[in-house]
Amino acid sequence: MLETALALGVTPVAATELVLFRKAAVEPAVPDEVADLGLRGSVSYERLLAARPDLILISPWYEARRSALSRIAPVESYSIYDTGRPPYDAAVAATERLGARLGRAVEAARAIGEADGAIASARSALARLQGRQVLVMNLGDTRRFRAFGADSMFGDVLSRVGLPPAWAEPTRFGAYPTVGVEALAKTPEAIVVNVGPTPPSALVGMHESPLWRAMPPIAKGRFVSIAPVNPYGALPAAARFARILAESLSAVRDA
Amino acid sequence: MPDAAARRHRPWLVWTMLVALAAALSLAGISGALSGDPVDRALLFYSVLPRSVVAILAGAALGLSGALLQQALDNPLAEPSTLGVFAGAQLALGVAAVFAPTIGELAREGVAFLGGAGAAGLVLALGWRRKLDPVTVVLCGMVVAMVASSLTAALILARGDYLFALLIWGGGSLTQEGWRPSLAIGAALAFGALASLVLARPLSVLVAGESSARSLGAPALVIRIAALAVGVLLATTVAAEIGLIAFVGLAAPTLARLCGARGAHRLLMGAPPIGAILLWLADGLVQRVGSGETIPTGAATAFIGAPLLLWLLPRLRLADRPAAAKPAARRDPGRTLAAMGCLAILALAGALLVGRDQSGWVVFGDASFGELLPFRAPRTAAAAAAGAMLAAAGVVLQRLTGNPLAGPEVLGVGAGAGVGLAVVLLTADGGSLATQAAGSALGALAALAILLAASRGRLGPERMLLAGAGISALCLAGLNAVIATGSRPAFALLAWMSGATDAVGPREAIAACAAAAVLIAPLALTLRWLEALRLGAVTARSIGLRVRASRAALASLASLLTGAAALVAGPLSFVGLVAPHLAHASGLTRAGPHLAGSILVGAALTVVADLLARTIIAPYQLPLGLFASLIGGVYLMGALRGR
Repeated sequence: MLETALALGVTPVAATELVLFRKAAVEPAVPDEVADLGLRGSVSYERLLAARPDLILISPWYEARRSALSRIAPVESYSIYDTGRPPYDAAVAATERLGARLGRAVEAARAIGEADGAIASARSALARLQGRQVLVMNLGDTRRFRAFGADSMFGDVLSRVGLPPAWAEPTRFGAYPTVGVEALAKTPEAIVVNVGPTPPSALVGMHESPLWRAMPPIAKGRFVSIAPVNPYGALPAAARFARILAESLSAVRDA
Repeated sequence: MPDAAARRHRPWLVWTMLVALAAALSLAGISGALSGDPVDRALLFYSVLPRSVVAILAGAALGLSGALLQQALDNPLAEPSTLGVFAGAQLALGVAAVFAPTIGELAREGVAFLGGAGAAGLVLALGWRRKLDPVTVVLCGMVVAMVASSLTAALILARGDYLFALLIWGGGSLTQEGWRPSLAIGAALAFGALASLVLARPLSVLVAGESSARSLGAPALVIRIAALAVGVLLATTVAAEIGLIAFVGLAAPTLARLCGARGAHRLLMGAPPIGAILLWLADGLVQRVGSGETIPTGAATAFIGAPLLLWLLPRLRLADRPAAAKPAARRDPGRTLAAMGCLAILALAGALLVGRDQSGWVVFGDASFGELLPFRAPRTAAAAAAGAMLAAAGVVLQRLTGNPLAGPEVLGVGAGAGVGLAVVLLTADGGSLATQAAGSALGALAALAILLAASRGRLGPERMLLAGAGISALCLAGLNAVIATGSRPAFALLAWMSGATDAVGPREAIAACAAAAVLIAPLALTLRWLEALRLGAVTARSIGLRVRASRAALASLASLLTGAAALVAGPLSFVGLVAPHLAHASGLTRAGPHLAGSILVGAALTVVADLLARTIIAPYQLPLGLFASLIGGVYLMGALRGR
């Protein structure tokens, strides 16, 4: 919800995990005056109290904290991610709802338009790849990665860009946490996109590993590693992913 | 004597069948990859074959490691995890992943060895004064392992997604993408085998007796440390390459002994092949279950081995030596209790008044006391209640076992509560507070019941402690496996394991305080039992106590207390060990004052831990369990050194 608020031109007084957000989500940039509340799972209520918010936005994951939070300010819950549901439309709905709640319907429409526009231009930039399967992953170490399915924001954006997500197996909250390299053998035609942040040693080790190099997508050079994008973000993350995807995939030679 | 011959051959038959089964499972994987296709060939050569080879080599290395550690310490429950080696390696790798993410694989191995050797070295240094007495060493190992695991858990929590590699690693997965790990483990194994050849004779003499070992020319301690170092190297190499593989290091030598391996020579020769078969088989089975990495192999070995270990425990020959309790200085209990009361009040006041904002430490903080109270009071109250309950459980267990270093954490009751909670989190999609409490208490009860069953009612202090150590290690391995799945219950469990109090609201706080009151009150009626049982079963019986019934009643009460407290403070707190120990050492030797003093100290300890957890890296909060186990661990190291 931090992303959505920023996209509406609202600077929150406080938010959680800003250290990780600045590293893993990168944009939108979070102004320095936003107070860090600590971990999502253990918010510093005292800092939140000191920030004197008018409204607290949570996701349904933290519904258990509602009673404690509502003692500080009114709480509103917005759901974007739910198992098995592609999240883009939910992100659009959450943006509209928040826009209406904050009296910023115009900004909300603009934010939605920007995200739709980023996807549309990615679609036209990648027109020659239409229908090609893309496997979006996040490398954990040299042996395993996290695969993102159709119910992740990455998967949903891919479908909208016209590139069906290659990971068809069930996911846990949009991603399957531990997939071995050999899974790449099952999707020989796919283009593989690794989304950061990636441990540097894993990327180096991957390029040295004979098994990785034998996997058809890697062997044919259909592998790109892109800058970090928030895997559990809202419309700004979707737009950022679409933009970076279009830039990086246009460099991939089609085999 | 056909019977005797058959008995001698039976183990061979069983192991041959197991080898055949493991080989069949591997062959099924290999034949699936047999075709002319270059991709299939790559999979065969760089994934399927190395996986079988690494399973065999790592199993052998762990078996040898366990055999060496057990021989060196003359301790049938010694293995890499009970000596803190795995926990130390895990912490070192976690620190390296955060501060030097670009280091290569070789450096990772070095880091893991340094961590594991550091932990083992610390354990041995702590057990030094007691001439590496087996029970002291295992206890020190558990202290060090718990401190290291809580630091690792805090590290994972504080860094979020980035350390998901560390999570996988914790579960021990044998997925391969080349031959490097096999080569590294093979090299370590070759070195270990050579060292074992040299060490086998001195070690066998060592077990025969310290004095005859001196006739070898080498001091017993040097032989032991050499064997320990080799054992640690084997274990940390496996840990760095494929992760934590629980139980193989424990099971292989035990099974070898069970199959008739007598003496160091045969044990060192028998354990590696048995370890290899166990891990090869476990990995083959894991690959057949579900798709891909549904269960990490390291977790599967723990699950396969748990029943076996508990079956073995009553059959192990262990001397039940009473632990020598140092006579405590006699002081006026009233004055000591008053001082402890003041301490507890001071801790409570500090927890309610002190905070930290952007500028630093403040009393009250930016808001008024009335505004902060609804946030600080519940967690402080819950922490105090948890500390009191753990301390009370600790008093019961220490008096029950006659061991001043017993505690709910050490006996595996806390870890059992964790398994109960994990079951609730995984099956009931989170569950309510009541179901979580029920799950936790049932888990604690189950752990204690298994403990009692495994010791067949003969609750000798030493056996109980070792059984608890085993149960605890197995439960924690199971929890690690759940955490390694990286799912949402996994993160809830990880937060719980390190003891997170920030989710405590007024409702939970009241529940915790009520549980403390309801469960501690009956203990007041059992003071006579607690007094008598400490003097030993014979004395207790002579004054007309129904020993078994009273023991069972006290044990269930202790496990209920632990289950309720663990929900707030997590399993790794040590409060239940430290508070009664400290109270006793301050001269509160009689049951009544001992209980009252322990409760006060326990409450003060958890409240201070919670205050530190909330403020030390504010706004990022650390778990209460982390600070409780750090404070407790450091105190305990001092206590163990001074024994």
